[in-house]
Amino acid sequence: MSDSTVIQALRRAFQVAPTLRKGLVVTLLLAGLGTAMSLVVPITLQRIVDTQLVGVDRIDTGAVLRSGLVAVGAVIVASIARWTSLMRIAKFVPAGLAELRNEAFSHLHRLSALHTETNRRGAMVARVTSDVAALEHFMEWAGIGMLIGITQLVLAMTTMLFYNVRLALIVIAGVAVYGTLLLWFQKLLKRAHGAHRNTISDSMSAVSESITGLPIIRAHGAEAETLSRVDQALGRQFVAGFRTARFGAVLFSSAEIFAGLITAAVIGFGVIFGARGQLTTGTLLAFLFLVNLLTEPVQMIVEASDSAQAAGAGLRKVLTVIDEPVDLPDSTDPQPLPAGSLEVAAVDTTFQYPTGPPIIRNLHLRIAPGERVAVVGQTGSGKTTFAKLVARLIDPTAGAIRVGGVDVRDVSFSELRSRVSYVPQQGFLFNTSIIENIRYGRAAATDQEVTDAITDLKLVDWVEGLPDGLSTMAGVRGQNLSAGERQLVALTRAWVANPDLLILDEATSAVDPALELRLRDAIERLAQGRTSITVAHRLSTAEAADRVLVFESGEIVEDGTHAELIELGGVYASLHADWAVATR
Amino acid sequence: MGTVLRQGGAHVGRLIRAHPIAFTIAVFGSTMFVSAIAIAAVVIGNITDDVIIPVLDGGEPYADLLRPAVLLIAGIALYKAVGIIIRRVGASWLQIRSQMDFVSRLIHHQYKLSMPWHHGEDTGDLLAITDNDAGQATFVLGPLPYATGVSLLLIGALVLVTSIDVWLGLVALISFGLVVTTDVGSAWFIFGGFEKLQRMVGDVSAVAHESFDGALTVKAIGAEDLEVERFSRVSNALRDQRTWVSVRAESFRTVSEIIPTLGLIAVIVVGGYRIEAGAITPGEVVTALYLMSLLSFPIRLIGFVTWETTFALASWRRIARIVEADDLIHHGEMDPSGQATGTEVSGENVTFSYPGGVPVLSDLGFHIQPGETVAVVGPTASGKSTMVSLLARLWDPDHGTIQLDGRDLRDFAERGVSSEVTIVPQESFLFNLSVRENITLGQHFSEEEVRAAADLAQATPFVLELPQGFDTVVGEQGATLSGGQAQRIALARSIVRKPRLLILDDATSAIDPSVETAILTGLRDAELPSTVVLVAYRQASITLADRVILVDDGRIIATGTHAHLLATQPVYSDILTAYANV
Ligand SMILES: Nc1ncnc2c1ncn2[C@@H]1O[C@H](COP(=O)(O)OP(=O)(O)OP(=O)(O)O)[C@@H](O)[C@H]1O
Ligand SMILES: Nc1ncnc2c1ncn2[C@@H]1O[C@H](COP(=O)(O)OP(=O)(O)OP(=O)(O)O)[C@@H](O)[C@H]1O
Ligand SMILES: [Mg+2]
Ligand SMILES: [Mg+2]
Repeated sequence: MSDSTVIQALRRAFQVAPTLRKGLVVTLLLAGLGTAMSLVVPITLQRIVDTQLVGVDRIDTGAVLRSGLVAVGAVIVASIARWTSLMRIAKFVPAGLAELRNEAFSHLHRLSALHTETNRRGAMVARVTSDVAALEHFMEWAGIGMLIGITQLVLAMTTMLFYNVRLALIVIAGVAVYGTLLLWFQKLLKRAHGAHRNTISDSMSAVSESITGLPIIRAHGAEAETLSRVDQALGRQFVAGFRTARFGAVLFSSAEIFAGLITAAVIGFGVIFGARGQLTTGTLLAFLFLVNLLTEPVQMIVEASDSAQAAGAGLRKVLTVIDEPVDLPDSTDPQPLPAGSLEVAAVDTTFQYPTGPPIIRNLHLRIAPGERVAVVGQTGSGKTTFAKLVARLIDPTAGAIRVGGVDVRDVSFSELRSRVSYVPQQGFLFNTSIIENIRYGRAAATDQEVTDAITDLKLVDWVEGLPDGLSTMAGVRGQNLSAGERQLVALTRAWVANPDLLILDEATSAVDPALELRLRDAIERLAQGRTSITVAHRLSTAEAADRVLVFESGEIVEDGTHAELIELGGVYASLHADWAVATR
Repeated sequence: MGTVLRQGGAHVGRLIRAHPIAFTIAVFGSTMFVSAIAIAAVVIGNITDDVIIPVLDGGEPYADLLRPAVLLIAGIALYKAVGIIIRRVGASWLQIRSQMDFVSRLIHHQYKLSMPWHHGEDTGDLLAITDNDAGQATFVLGPLPYATGVSLLLIGALVLVTSIDVWLGLVALISFGLVVTTDVGSAWFIFGGFEKLQRMVGDVSAVAHESFDGALTVKAIGAEDLEVERFSRVSNALRDQRTWVSVRAESFRTVSEIIPTLGLIAVIVVGGYRIEAGAITPGEVVTALYLMSLLSFPIRLIGFVTWETTFALASWRRIARIVEADDLIHHGEMDPSGQATGTEVSGENVTFSYPGGVPVLSDLGFHIQPGETVAVVGPTASGKSTMVSLLARLWDPDHGTIQLDGRDLRDFAERGVSSEVTIVPQESFLFNLSVRENITLGQHFSEEEVRAAADLAQATPFVLELPQGFDTVVGEQGATLSGGQAQRIALARSIVRKPRLLILDDATSAIDPSVETAILTGLRDAELPSTVVLVAYRQASITLADRVILVDDGRIIATGTHAHLLATQPVYSDILTAYANV
């Protein structure tokens, strides 16, 4: 999509957002009618001038007035037609743009978390805001303007043909030459606008990071350096923006030169033809008005083509997102998961991030239904990656993950997400109340169910200590809560989802040990009969698990109960020794 | 109505005063342009009277007359084109420059504002202000020089038409007057709706930003549909508001666009009567007509500028909320000491609450000796992070003082505190930069310093395995690293600065016990020239500390050695022995 023409991009946009072209034909016809009627005005004027003002002995003021009224009538009809088309645009274009925006947003969420996480927030926000808005100007004004302009151009030239073929042909030839020049210029313009768009998303990303990272930057005294990075990005945006503007200026002025030359030619040849008696004064004057009428649409077309390139640059960015193949497609022929707690199996699973070496290598594993498994290992050994594979946040590059005996790729996301809960390392809270945050786990959960979950997890005391209980606002990214509290909310959220397979990725790493143990007791009691996979650096979890998996460089190097692995005296035993020293 | 126009005008005035030269150049170009229009009208009128009518109707020879006429017209076109280039280049320079100035000012100012101000702000909305409003607040500068020129033209045209004939002048005056009145009235009428529209743009951006920020969680809990629905809600509200504004705007515009055409017709009719009365010649009517038909497009510009001014005002108000916020961090004059030794840290009667909230810290008093290592221990949400963020002056206490070597933090000059104190926060935050830049944050550190800090943070081994080693870009918020890897880079970032006070807020929570032990012993053996305050739960970290400060429910309930607290404080022993008792 990145090298498509504006027309191709628009056609694709019309598919994605059909409302954009809804009733377009009628809208254009109305706009065309409006334009045609406005042509009546110069014609009437010409007739009045020709027949009633110039070269007559006595002016018939009554006739002048009557012709004037005809012109007024034409103006009113034209305005009504044009107004109706504008009203349609005012309705359909914002609706179509909303469709486009919503589709880009949904698609970004259809892509895997891997995709979204490794993309820049500021740039993604730009895709659903300013890149879409770049199209607004074109669709609301310039696109129609261009079509009206072309219609007006054609009509004016046709009218000229009626008046005088030879003079008209001269004008048409001029238009053709100029039109070719314009087309050639589009390429330059496209490149300039594309470059400008890129600098915009770069500076948006720089801005977004500098705002979110402000506390860190402040704490390290790096304000000046960060600000200068932002200013550099803005500097590049300025240069690119000014460059496109300069192109626009030259282009626009060329329209003026063109109009001037055509006027000169019309007068020159008009007088010559007139002297030979091939042309009346009125016709020549009408030609001059018609040429004047040409200037406006030509300028409009020039302006619109600039706007079209700006729109194209934004649209291409939006379409690149929308046409990005879904890297984690939902199953087309979903298989049901068996009822009850779920078995987990990895069959020769290998995974590799787009950049870098394989992180999970030839993993073979079976976790029985209802088994409580602890996953331990050095940082960077692939524990989180493994957890994400099981939760199908990423797909293996080779091999398969089976849950309840079914390849996870064959399970519909709606079923998988309702049966499998994954609590990530850094729980994310939305800027809403705590209870709404919990309900994100299961939208249908009643207040009672939320309170029950809190009671189950023995968190009642904590909730009562909050300023507004469950209605306390969590703040942007949950900043109104302490890190431990955020994890409590994320845990409760998973809990209300009532999963059959619970995957906790260091979900209690920021909670104080006493509270963590209380939580773990609660979870263990309640997790009876559910499968659970718990990633933890706090090896107390491993001590209590049915089974411990030890990861090292993407492989399971040890597998057994706590006691067995201590006995073995390998990786786990040494980790545990460090842990024991650290805690006791 | 008066207020909107006055404030809008004041806003535009400020923009012009910031770059008067560019504006003057653009207006100059615009004057060239409009004078070309006027000259063209007169020339066409003269050509009609002196060339066309005599030649076509009078059968006179054209030989001598035609060439200058044609050349004159071509020359005027060229002159006009040059005017256009000057005007447009000047105006777009002015607009883009002013927009960039705004964005830069927005960010620079936010960097001066205190944490309480930042607390309630939504990044997505701030992005919309920098992206959308900064543009919208300056777009008026594009057509403004043109409109300024057009105003001159209007006056000139009025004078010209009036000098031809008073009645025609009156027709022109009425028609221009009606256009301006319609535009001003409608702009005022729609202003409120437009302000609302800009707010909604901010809402859309806010939801989008939050949703992408939390993408992993959104997917993990299968909340994509909920998010799409939430986004559609704000997005559709924006759609409806956009339609609301457009319907009104376009209706008014239609009205104001008819007026000049009606004026044109009126000129003809009135002109007919006046010719009949013998007051003017047909050529003069043609001149008047030509002038007015040429103006029918530019006059829309005045309406356009009126509109844009009110739009600009709506956006400026959103920008002003930030750039005119006076919730600044106040710095003193005192320079940092420059000593390379641990600093003494003390707090007296420190009380603190987050904006609008209940007190989080009450009446803290503590005293940490130079070079001492102190552990801050306490249950979840007891106020540990809050306390240590006060030590780094991310927040200021409501009451009481915090001092380094007896110097109040608030007396330090800008960047003074951060040159003596650094904090490794509980949740590491990495930038979309290389590992090295994440450590240096763009400041000057030698390669050896970076390596040494990375070594101490136990980061070197895994960094060297990354595709480009220290030059690997880690993605926003460290997306391409594991939790423990990100934490170690954050740690190196603080260590490299050799602070006099190093604060570790549970900075090894995502790191496995073996590496954690290596880090902690490394830090101890390195004998950093620092006082160290660490928030921790594990005995290993705490035994590194000379002393422990026990925090519960926002108060310091005890200070002392590990052994002492273990023996006397049940809150402390609960936390410390939790694992041992399993
Ligand atoms: N999006 C990504 N792109 C490229 N590499 C990645 C990405 N995410 C993780 N990695 C790499 O994959 C390896 C395993 O990461 P993972 O997060 O699975 O480790 P982990 O065992 O969970 O570590 P920790 O205990 O620190 O959380 C690391 O070396 C990391 O750098
Ligand atoms: N930005 C904030 N706005 C409002 N309240 C906050 C904010 N940050 C923290 N709090 C509240 O202040 C209290 C102390 O939080 P703090 O983060 O200092 O706790 P903590 O001891 O560090 O906890 P943890 O062990 O979970 O990290 C908590 O009750 C929390 O809800
Ligand atoms: Mg991990
Ligand atoms: Mg904390």
